[in-house]
Amino acid sequence: MQTLTIGFLIGCGFGAILYMGGATSYRRILGTLLLKDMTIIKLMCTAIGVGTLGIYLLDLGGLANMSIKPAYVGGVAIGGIVFGIGWAISGYCPGTCVVGAAEGKSDALFTILGGLTGVFLFALAFPFLETAILEPLNFGKITLRDLAGISGIYLAIPFSAMLLALAFFVLKDKYE
Amino acid sequence: MQEQKAIISWKVAGVALGLLLTLATFLVKPLGVSTQFVVTDAIVAHQVAPEATENNAYLNKYGEKDDWGVGYGWMLVFGMFAGGLVTSRLLSKKQPDLDKGSMPKMWELVFGGSRSKRLAAAFFGGVLLLFGARLAGGCTSGHMISGISQLAVSSFIFGIFTFGSAIAMAHFLYRKRG
Repeated sequence: MQTLTIGFLIGCGFGAILYMGGATSYRRILGTLLLKDMTIIKLMCTAIGVGTLGIYLLDLGGLANMSIKPAYVGGVAIGGIVFGIGWAISGYCPGTCVVGAAEGKSDALFTILGGLTGVFLFALAFPFLETAILEPLNFGKITLRDLAGISGIYLAIPFSAMLLALAFFVLKDKYE
Repeated sequence: MQEQKAIISWKVAGVALGLLLTLATFLVKPLGVSTQFVVTDAIVAHQVAPEATENNAYLNKYGEKDDWGVGYGWMLVFGMFAGGLVTSRLLSKKQPDLDKGSMPKMWELVFGGSRSKRLAAAFFGGVLLLFGARLAGGCTSGHMISGISQLAVSSFIFGIFTFGSAIAMAHFLYRKRG
């Protein structure tokens, strides 16, 4: 019960940030993908920069409940390509369409409905996809820390610094 | 496109999101959205056709784990809706006009003002989004933000292929026409 409440509250914060940060805006998402508006990229770089540092600081004390996704290269790469096409067409991702629908945007609602349909199609195709592209080339739940064989914080600090520098100093708002 | 700033700057939003992710990882686990589309499908399908649903290898995985009901992850997505609902009601005056509504100006300029065309594209985009996300095992939140923050190899791969294909598709859609 407590976990459900925590989930709800964290979700509220997430939804509020996406709305206030402008991530539910079609022109910002497409502006990002057309490489003209850097706002969303800078937001993401900052979030990942802070998040990487936060998670690996927690990890130092053994307090991070990590959840690493397995690297089955074929499925992740093909899934990423299909996802990217859908992202550019709808202007939403699975999280922002939920927030956009809450704002009352009907295209966001249709993206949710499409998403539920997409999952249904995936569930039907799963037995085939599993043997064809999900199982081969699976390297398991690996992280850069496992590959480098050093404590994660030594990777997290420079990576985080790089992302924050990118967001704060390198990327400029408009390229036009 | 005239400059119209979001309600909070990318700096504030980015830092807040990074801290929220850290908090979630400390309390329960990192953020993720796309799995909950499966849970929703599984819950609905289980009501409509329990037998067929339990026999589906994919829906069954999520149904069994979550007892055909809502868990932490689903409440998180439900919370996103609630958070968006409350902030958008309170702050809609501060939201730039160009960010409002479901007929974006730049879409209209290229694809025309047909409402059903925009909604059909949003629906079809949604199908691809979630089909792709389930193939890859996550989406922007679970893979890109949470996954890369955990330095997961699979999430770096997802990020590269997603941005590559989305950038290419956006340029194709908005290529100079005529």
